Amino acid sequence: MSAHSLELLYLLVRKDLKVRYKSSVLGYLWALANPFAFALVYWVAFKYIMRVQMENYSLYLITGIFPWVWLSSGITQATRSYQNNASLVKKVRIPRAILPLSSVAQEMAHFLFALPVIVAFLMFAGGFELRASWLWQLPLLLAVQLAFVYPVALMFAVGNVYVHDIEHLVGLAFAMLFFLTPMVYPISMVPEGLRRWFELNPLHALMDSWRGAFLSGTLDGAKLGYAIACAAVFGAVAWLCYRRFAPRIGELL
Amino acid sequence: MWKSYSGKRVGLKTLLLRPEVARTSRYARRWALQGVSFKVSRGQGFGVLGANGMGKTTLLSVLLGIVLPERGSVSIQGRVASLLELGAGFHPELSGRDNVFLYGSILGMRLHEVEERYRAIVEFSELGDAVEEPLRTYSNGMVTRLGFSLIAHAPADVFLIDEVLAVGDARFQEKCRRHLQEFRRRNGTLVIVSHDMKALAEVCDEGIRLEMGEVTDAGPIGDIIGRYQGP
Amino acid sequence: MIERSPWQLLEFLYLLARMELKARYKGRFLGYLGAVGLIFALAFVFWIAFKVIMGIDLPNYSVYLVAGLFPWAWMSMGVVSASRSFVANAGLIKEMGLAHAILPLSNVVQEMMHFALALPLIVAWVAIPGDYPPAWSWLWQIPLLMALQLVFVYPLALAAALANAYVRDIEYWLGIGFVLLFFATPMVYPVSMVPEGLARYFELNPFHALMECWRTVFIESRFDATHAAYAATFAAVEGIVVWLLYRRLAPRVGEVV
Repeated sequence: MSAHSLELLYLLVRKDLKVRYKSSVLGYLWALANPFAFALVYWVAFKYIMRVQMENYSLYLITGIFPWVWLSSGITQATRSYQNNASLVKKVRIPRAILPLSSVAQEMAHFLFALPVIVAFLMFAGGFELRASWLWQLPLLLAVQLAFVYPVALMFAVGNVYVHDIEHLVGLAFAMLFFLTPMVYPISMVPEGLRRWFELNPLHALMDSWRGAFLSGTLDGAKLGYAIACAAVFGAVAWLCYRRFAPRIGELL
Repeated sequence: MWKSYSGKRVGLKTLLLRPEVARTSRYARRWALQGVSFKVSRGQGFGVLGANGMGKTTLLSVLLGIVLPERGSVSIQGRVASLLELGAGFHPELSGRDNVFLYGSILGMRLHEVEERYRAIVEFSELGDAVEEPLRTYSNGMVTRLGFSLIAHAPADVFLIDEVLAVGDARFQEKCRRHLQEFRRRNGTLVIVSHDMKALAEVCDEGIRLEMGEVTDAGPIGDIIGRYQGP
Repeated sequence: MIERSPWQLLEFLYLLARMELKARYKGRFLGYLGAVGLIFALAFVFWIAFKVIMGIDLPNYSVYLVAGLFPWAWMSMGVVSASRSFVANAGLIKEMGLAHAILPLSNVVQEMMHFALALPLIVAWVAIPGDYPPAWSWLWQIPLLMALQLVFVYPLALAAALANAYVRDIEYWLGIGFVLLFFATPMVYPVSMVPEGLARYFELNPFHALMECWRTVFIESRFDATHAAYAATFAAVEGIVVWLLYRRLAPRVGEVV
């Protein structure tokens, strides 16, 4: 990554943040409202209606939903990033790998802005204490998720130029995955036979790691290792994919 | 100086059109550009003429590296700045200032390079205080002046320009032409695609004419313009 | 400004619908199966999550899901795509004059078309297991509900398109809003599971009324007049509100877009 590419990335993300937040505190609160609203609806639906039995269910939800929104929104936005910036791709010579990265980075920025609020929620609603371990666990998880999400985002972005259906599929896929990566219920509720399949889901490993770090200050080495391994595989596949297919997107857009 | 030879395939519904239509339709030829080869020396102005759809924009895309030629190669020495579409990447919600930095980076400039030239850019564009306002409040003319002004100040050895010489009013256009001539005097290289014969004649010295993706005329710009415009 | 007759507008609607058909199914049966299959896949996921894992106790859960998901998809996708219709067709807007109300209508009608095309599969899904045999009454109940839903959804779509022209973010929030609504309108669990205190609010939800109508037709072959009347009233009220809003804001859409 050249210095120029980094500067361009910074400017692109800054542009989106400015537009999204319109430089106001209200904008910030408004942007946070989204995941919180989800958490609220799921909390009511699952705690009161489905009667999920779980201690600190609201915390379980919150600590999972925010990283999830980063992941799913990042990838969903990235998928259309070439179409949305067609004139940039066709008329200017920019490093094309930057565009999906800026979508992922934007969502990561939103997540970072939300972190203090998550921590505050944990402390005030859950009576948890600040943990020193977060100082290394959270940055580590950030890096792992970034390494995991960006290759997928890149592949979908390039793929979507060739096969437009991908953007529709991605939205639906995340809706489905939301329920299959236990996000609104603990994995313990999954019957024995099925559980094995759920544990194979790398998204589960990732999200559970976040929850573990926030709620108990622990990181499960096996889960984290699995997530990292998957990230490495995605990274390799994405790189090959990009080398093969990216050069032609200028013509196809 | 650089030269190129390129052939590039256009993958549209060539085979489905009826044969007579296929022969003459500009969307139906197999090669968008074929056998195009030329050299441009440093400090030269090179013009490309031709009706629409004849391959001029494709040629610039290939030169810029956006589209890869199936056969042949492009070789350019020096830093390239392109003006294929004004304000590609401009965002209406951002101020003129923010857009200048963003667009500058898109064009390949480093932040400090934009910083150094910012004042000159704003002056050339004649926007004044409006540069702090969001872009959506600008008139079309203001947007194009800002875009051109930024390009004009980009540190580049080679400029590739597609049709965007008709920017602003006649006075501003004259200012742009003079700026380009000045650029050439400082040993900058220009490749310009345009329908504006007057501008081409003033700013370029050699050129080619493209028809159906092939070079049908080449030589000093005055001569090919004369032949293009016919007796 | 071109003079437009209603016939011309209808033809335009027809052309747009045909383009959409080609785009979504790519002129292939496999495309059709794929598109419809996706919604069935979603139903399957919900079935796993809610019946198998969360243990919802509803004998006809899969039918309950399918009967609700398809009309829901029509509505939510119709409104969300309609919200983009003014912005995405800025050039058309400036030429069409006030007839641009037809653009969101085309989105809703297109989704209705996809719904209608999926109906044979939905009917098969419901009828084949044998517990819920198809009835002749479906022949009038289904078209009636479709008309009701069309009247219900179109004002929402028009309002969404108008709102999005002024505030571009609306599109983003709409998608999220529908997901929230999805859980607030019992779509994946029966309203009977809602505790007493909250149930009242759920019953007030007009979307719930509409979806219940669909489910009662498929499951009980009965037309739920109460819920239908409630939904129809709501449709009438929103229709009037949106119409007034539209008359006021429509002329300026061309500038804002």
